[in-house]
Amino acid sequence: MAVGSTPTAILGTADAGDSILVVDDIVKRFETPEGPLVAVDHVSLQVRPGEFMAVIGPSGCGKSTLFNIVGGLVDDYQGTVSVAGTRMRGPHPAVGMVFQDESTFPWRSVIDNVAFPLEIAGMRKHERLDRARHFISLVGLDGFENRYPTELSGGMRQRVAIARTLASEPKILLMDEPFAALDEQTRLLLGDKVLQIQQALQQTTLIITHNITEAVQLADRVLVMTYRPGRVKRIVDIVLPRPRSSAIVSSDAFGHYVAQIWSDLREEASRGMRDEETRRKAGEDAR
Amino acid sequence: MAETGRLRAASIPGVVGSPVLWLRLVIIATVLAIWEAVAASGLLYRDVVPSLQAIAGAIVRLLSNPEYYWNLGVTAGEVGASLVIGGLSGLVVGLILGGSRLLTKAYEPYLYYLGPTPKIIFFPIMIMWFGVGTGSKVAMGAISCFFPIALSAAAGMRQIEPILIRVGRSFRANTWQMATKIYLPAMRHPIINGVRLGLGVAIIGTLLAETKLSNSGIGFLIIQAYSLFDMPRMYAMLIVVFVLAIGANAFVGWVGRLDRVKIR
Amino acid sequence: MTSTTTTVVRVAALTRFGPTALGVATLLLLLIAVEVLIRAGFINNYIVPTPIQVAAAFERIILDEGIGSRFLLTFTEAFTAGAMITMVGVLAGVLLYRFDLLRRATETWVAALASAPTVLMYPLFLVIFGRSAWTIIMMGFVAGLPPVILKTIEGLVTTRRVLVDVGRSFKLSRMQLFTKILLPAALPTIFVGVRLGLIFTLINVVGVEFLINFGGLGQLINDLAERYDLPGTYAAIFFVILVSVCFFVVIERLERWLRPVA
Repeated sequence: MAVGSTPTAILGTADAGDSILVVDDIVKRFETPEGPLVAVDHVSLQVRPGEFMAVIGPSGCGKSTLFNIVGGLVDDYQGTVSVAGTRMRGPHPAVGMVFQDESTFPWRSVIDNVAFPLEIAGMRKHERLDRARHFISLVGLDGFENRYPTELSGGMRQRVAIARTLASEPKILLMDEPFAALDEQTRLLLGDKVLQIQQALQQTTLIITHNITEAVQLADRVLVMTYRPGRVKRIVDIVLPRPRSSAIVSSDAFGHYVAQIWSDLREEASRGMRDEETRRKAGEDAR
Repeated sequence: MAETGRLRAASIPGVVGSPVLWLRLVIIATVLAIWEAVAASGLLYRDVVPSLQAIAGAIVRLLSNPEYYWNLGVTAGEVGASLVIGGLSGLVVGLILGGSRLLTKAYEPYLYYLGPTPKIIFFPIMIMWFGVGTGSKVAMGAISCFFPIALSAAAGMRQIEPILIRVGRSFRANTWQMATKIYLPAMRHPIINGVRLGLGVAIIGTLLAETKLSNSGIGFLIIQAYSLFDMPRMYAMLIVVFVLAIGANAFVGWVGRLDRVKIR
Repeated sequence: MTSTTTTVVRVAALTRFGPTALGVATLLLLLIAVEVLIRAGFINNYIVPTPIQVAAAFERIILDEGIGSRFLLTFTEAFTAGAMITMVGVLAGVLLYRFDLLRRATETWVAALASAPTVLMYPLFLVIFGRSAWTIIMMGFVAGLPPVILKTIEGLVTTRRVLVDVGRSFKLSRMQLFTKILLPAALPTIFVGVRLGLIFTLINVVGVEFLINFGGLGQLINDLAERYDLPGTYAAIFFVILVSVCFFVVIERLERWLRPVA
């Protein structure tokens, strides 16, 4: 498949018309002591309303940078990001972000964490606590409203973070490796939970991950990125029945998709590893 | 990933030197200007804010007066002696406590809670026991610096990696060898920090004792200036003492960092 | 099986209370030894009163010397100074955090101030404020201020990046970012700074009371010493130690109680 700027064939059957998120030709450069580094190199993608898209790539492919750009936390880049036709620069209320690191506020209870965006929006206390309870229930944390994050497990804290972002009812949910810190079983089960919620809300979701199983389990389409400089290598349509559950991981079709994506990813991941080793060796010799 | 957009202006184009240096100079200059203005206006009664010239003159007179250096020597001697007495005993006690969980639990709470008490209140007792001369001042300095050094040494003992101790034992080192060749070198950073703290409080303890009851030393000179209402002289001495104390502290800190640079 | 359980329980109790008991026992032993040595004439009774004499003096100083009002005076001085270091210190810390250039210029100065013998300035403060409570309060203030400022800055600077990102992703205004995220996240560290500052403040308050012979508990010691009431002096010193120990235990408990929320 061609690497470089993204020909229409790779973009698949969607066209810009009915997409709710349009990321167009993003280029992001960083200044490093070793010279300019291109993290994201002419990346474009489109997400349809209600679609679940996964972006997968090796470490160092710029996927986290992409996450920050689409979320609006980084704003000096080339290209455009549009949500529902409106171009955006800077954090946009229509885009909700769930981060990889521990992001719950340790000094607030679960319900106060989840109600946070509603509090900012000026909603009255009674109403926002009610709404917060709805989302807490959605992620399956009923009964934990008045607990504090330190009393919860890592997986539960991530659920609180997801509930908090969902409470702001974003048009697009952006997640950056939300389950990276969890063990495989918890991850699969939480994946199920996220799928349920996504189906129920018809929430447009874009998830960044390095885990192939997760990508195929959750997504409608998987976008594979190359190693630095990050470009779109391939977009894979995942045609697996919906509603899905983690039981799907044992099916033949599932294995087929995983194999296909891995063969693309493996090439990039190896390149990444060799590059890392060369750099470290050069660094040592320089001393 | 690389830092997103956190640029730091290292310098303003067209201006020589760093902005930090310039800001510091501006702040100092402003303070001095305000001081001089208050001094000249006579707002505060009598000599509470002497002119900068008067203070500068007093500093010069002070530093060119052999009497000052003699008193400085007395104080320095007292501080030195109290560091040796308080420091060594603190070190020994800390090493013993830190090496045994039982002893730590039994006695360290006493050190921990006695530490932050104002030692100057023991001064009347010190006078009774050691007389009104330098003895009581050295005693004050010693009990002041005993606590932080003992606590640092005990903590230092506890943070030694057990593997180092096992290596020493496997070579059948005796207690003295263990102490000097394994424990102390492994603990040098906590000890240096403890000594730094101890130096600070030893200086304070000795000088305060001198201000309360003495006929020699810097503390005595300060209180003498107070009783004579010689404000420029008092300011001069305070400035010099502060510079010396901060300098001594910085010096110990520098010594502590020496081997870190070497290991690189 | 019951005998094994009893042994286990006994050993557990021994390891738990043993060391504390050892400490207390050693203390009592020392006191008894001192008592005996003085009575036997090995230690001069003129410079060291017996523990029993000191214990007797306790009642005397509590009743006759108005220990209640003295305690209150010292407490008020320390409290005022404590309130001042908190308000001024946190405000200064926030300002230094906000204005990065100012922080880089002055942070080392504040750290140097923390290690300088500021209490030596008490004769100067005596001239400015006279022999009054304000000299004592201002000395306590100067001594306790640097740790509060430094820890406030530290707390704000070390707030985890992701928490700030969450705030930004919800489009918080600068003020909201500060009040709803930075400040709550920094609070535990700020409290550590206030505790450190309070310790220095109290030490200086009692110390300066003693030195200038004015105030509450510190002045009591000075008074009794000048009257050559040796058992009374020892008793007063012991009392002050007790007060300061209780004070620090309380502050520590308070900090630990607030900590779990972190």
